[in-house]
Amino acid sequence: MVVTDSSDSGTILRVRGPLEFKCQLDSTDALLMQKVISRTFAALHSQVKSESCVLTVCDSSLIIWPNKGVYVTPEEITPNTLCEDIHQWIQTDEQESAGKRSSKKKNKKSSSASVINLCLMMEVTKTGPLSAPILRRTLQKSHFLSTTLPMDCVVRTTCSDTIKDAFERLLEALTHQLCEMEKVTLQHMKGATLLVPEPLHFLLPEPKGLVTVVYPAGVPDSQLETHRKELHQQFELPDDWPYFRRVNAFHFSNEPYKDGYLRNPHMVLTHPTLDNGKVYLVQGIYSYHHYMQDHMDDNGWGCAYRSLQTICSWFTQQGYVERAVPTHREIQQTLVDVGDKQGSFVGSRQWIGSIEVQVVLNQLLEVTSKIMFVSQGSELASKGRELANHFLTEGTPIMIGGGVLAHTILGVAWSETTGQIRYLILDPHYTGAEDLQVITDKGWCGWKGPDFWDQTAYYNLCLPQRPKVI
Amino acid sequence: MGRSYIVEDAVEGCLSKLCEQKAGSVTGLLLGQSSPQRDFVVMATRTPPREETPAGNPVDKEWVSEHARQVSRMLPGGLAVLGVFIITDTEAKDTLTILRQLVFAVESLVSSEQLWSPAEDDVSDCVALHVNRKTRKTFCRTFDVKDPKSTAKPADWRYQAGVSASWSTVSCCLHVDLLVPLPDNKTDPENMDTCLKEELRGWARRLESGVCLVDGRKLAEDAELPGGQKRNVRQTYTAQILVTPGAQGLAEEQQRCGGSVCVRGAVHSRAYVHSNKPKARLAQKLLKRDAVSTVTTRVQMLLEELLTSEDENKGSSKQKRELFCLPHRVFCPLKASGPLCVCDYQFSDESVCEVTERLKEMLDIDAAEEDLDSSQEAPGQIPEREVGAEPTVETAVALEPKRNSFVGVAMATAAALLATAASILYLNDV
Repeated sequence: MVVTDSSDSGTILRVRGPLEFKCQLDSTDALLMQKVISRTFAALHSQVKSESCVLTVCDSSLIIWPNKGVYVTPEEITPNTLCEDIHQWIQTDEQESAGKRSSKKKNKKSSSASVINLCLMMEVTKTGPLSAPILRRTLQKSHFLSTTLPMDCVVRTTCSDTIKDAFERLLEALTHQLCEMEKVTLQHMKGATLLVPEPLHFLLPEPKGLVTVVYPAGVPDSQLETHRKELHQQFELPDDWPYFRRVNAFHFSNEPYKDGYLRNPHMVLTHPTLDNGKVYLVQGIYSYHHYMQDHMDDNGWGCAYRSLQTICSWFTQQGYVERAVPTHREIQQTLVDVGDKQGSFVGSRQWIGSIEVQVVLNQLLEVTSKIMFVSQGSELASKGRELANHFLTEGTPIMIGGGVLAHTILGVAWSETTGQIRYLILDPHYTGAEDLQVITDKGWCGWKGPDFWDQTAYYNLCLPQRPKVI
Repeated sequence: MGRSYIVEDAVEGCLSKLCEQKAGSVTGLLLGQSSPQRDFVVMATRTPPREETPAGNPVDKEWVSEHARQVSRMLPGGLAVLGVFIITDTEAKDTLTILRQLVFAVESLVSSEQLWSPAEDDVSDCVALHVNRKTRKTFCRTFDVKDPKSTAKPADWRYQAGVSASWSTVSCCLHVDLLVPLPDNKTDPENMDTCLKEELRGWARRLESGVCLVDGRKLAEDAELPGGQKRNVRQTYTAQILVTPGAQGLAEEQQRCGGSVCVRGAVHSRAYVHSNKPKARLAQKLLKRDAVSTVTTRVQMLLEELLTSEDENKGSSKQKRELFCLPHRVFCPLKASGPLCVCDYQFSDESVCEVTERLKEMLDIDAAEEDLDSSQEAPGQIPEREVGAEPTVETAVALEPKRNSFVGVAMATAAALLATAASILYLNDV
């Protein structure tokens, strides 16, 4: 495991690159096979430590030879240049649209630490003259193994780190990762089959920061529990919240999610400050589900379904379940399967409520939920303590249904002394595109006061309970 | 509007001399560099006379193409076979058909050996020059070899002194390290050829997408080579090539194999770039292609030799481990052509005079031994004991094949390795 130092500011350097792994196993004896594997890894070590190893900064003309006294080209940059200055050399699309940035930025927080991406490359040219090539033919019946090691290392730098410091640490990270990969490969070898060791990064609570773990590809999370237990012990993490499932891997800000949904739109909001008040928020990651997504026109009737989808996404993204977010049809079918609805329910546009949400969560995800009932909306103002406790202990999004509307509650700002309360609401009635700016500007994800609720209608809240596992 | 060929003065002299020969047609190749705006011809070389057939016989397509294939192997990056010429008594309109056949046959055979992928900005027009023996008049036309139905287009043919005098040279010393499994029971040279070709294609792709530094700097794609503004000054540049050391997204593969082939060592790679505001992108493309060609050519040559020797010895040697030296590259300057050189490959058991003989036979160049430059590469050395070898006893046998002359090689390998090419020639009888 590589633990990076944490700090408030600073840049993350991330180097990625494929390393070719080729070897011949001419014996089925386990020990001999291990020797060959280790020898191949040793050759890769030499490659990475050699003068031919090169790190290039993506989208720039910067090239660094970390093993040649950290030699840099172009010459304007030296090993003693600050890491931060690398940003100036990177061409980004934003540079063109800098003038168009919205002036409404004051309500938004800046995103997480910036990332500089680097590519691991090898220089294949050398100073000649050298010897012409030799062709060697070996006749030996054997198993030929060929794969690619997906190197992926991160190093967090502070504002005072020079290129020399940072790149020496990157080299250490690369060699360390090779060692980890060798361990994982040897551990999970089955006969002559190799499992590709995959590095993943996990963001642990400060001050631990980003941590890199190598897992064998193809081995599901369920079989890696022992490994995760060791990690939890090593990092002194609680044993009832998953940190090291594959889906918990840290998502770098410059990579869009493949499925196109927004994640945690609430993070860019400025949270309300109440006298003696505290903010209690959903923990972890969810994706925003709302009307009209997935080519499904559920405008006017699907709000509770969407809230349920948001909740399901939370359980998937924390790694508690490995199923995709259910469609409207799947939700309806589930209710029919448990006998809660008639067969004609499937394909209809009938509403569902918090009880149905509870049933589906139980049936599909094996998640239990508590139901909270308020006989009139005005009572919600007094539920501050219970909601705060929920976000502290469970941290799951809450579905609230009442009157004719359903919403998702992502957090609460509550003052114990004054009783003031605000609710962080994620509104499933939004029908537009996944535009973070619009969604937050127009309040589709935003803080609401107690008057947001229909003061006379009754409300049911579904509070999903998270499983206490890693 | 047709293409424009700027031709070295020396080529005129060469063609004139060929006009003085006895009756019958004389064919040959035109060598140089293409660019989108115009083409440069720096050399003409006649088709070597065939031993069995006396002069005056009809033109032999196969022979001309084979000559082109051999000559292509002797051209560093930036130089290529641009087309063919024919010197004859007949009228220009009568040679159109045979010229067309020659152009397509040559292009087909030469490109079949190339493992690098064609680029969009490659020029696909080839020149067909007709020279009237008596009047010395030239008729220059081009064919688009990408279009099998293309017709002749007239082109400009203009002589000029010092065409390549201020061409730039980009070079580097490139390390090669390939390891390929051989299928079970198929470890003969033919299969080695197939497997190595596949691996070399992948290596070529990696080189193509690699980053190329010129004199230590990464240049923008559209940038011109630095210092290119200085006229009449020859520029030399040293290049560095960085590649991704693995293929992205390749799944883990395992296969049973009967052995493996490893090619390891370094090659000197070089490309010449015209002096008409050349772009860095062109220099990089030509250099990378030369790198691929030089490794491919040497592997081909070695395997051709192995195939011949194994045929003769009936039954291949079944030694567990064999090492062969690939030939090293030797350069020969083209007099009166600025910085340009052609090259040849010398096996470790050959003498320098065999190189000069081949230069004479293929390119009609009279080179003295002192003219040759073999300093760019050291001959391959077979180590006493390989580093990191397994502790089992190995027999490191250095089989150093003898190079046959052009004629011998052509006859022997035509059947084995040119089978495909030959069928292309016959099938595409236009």
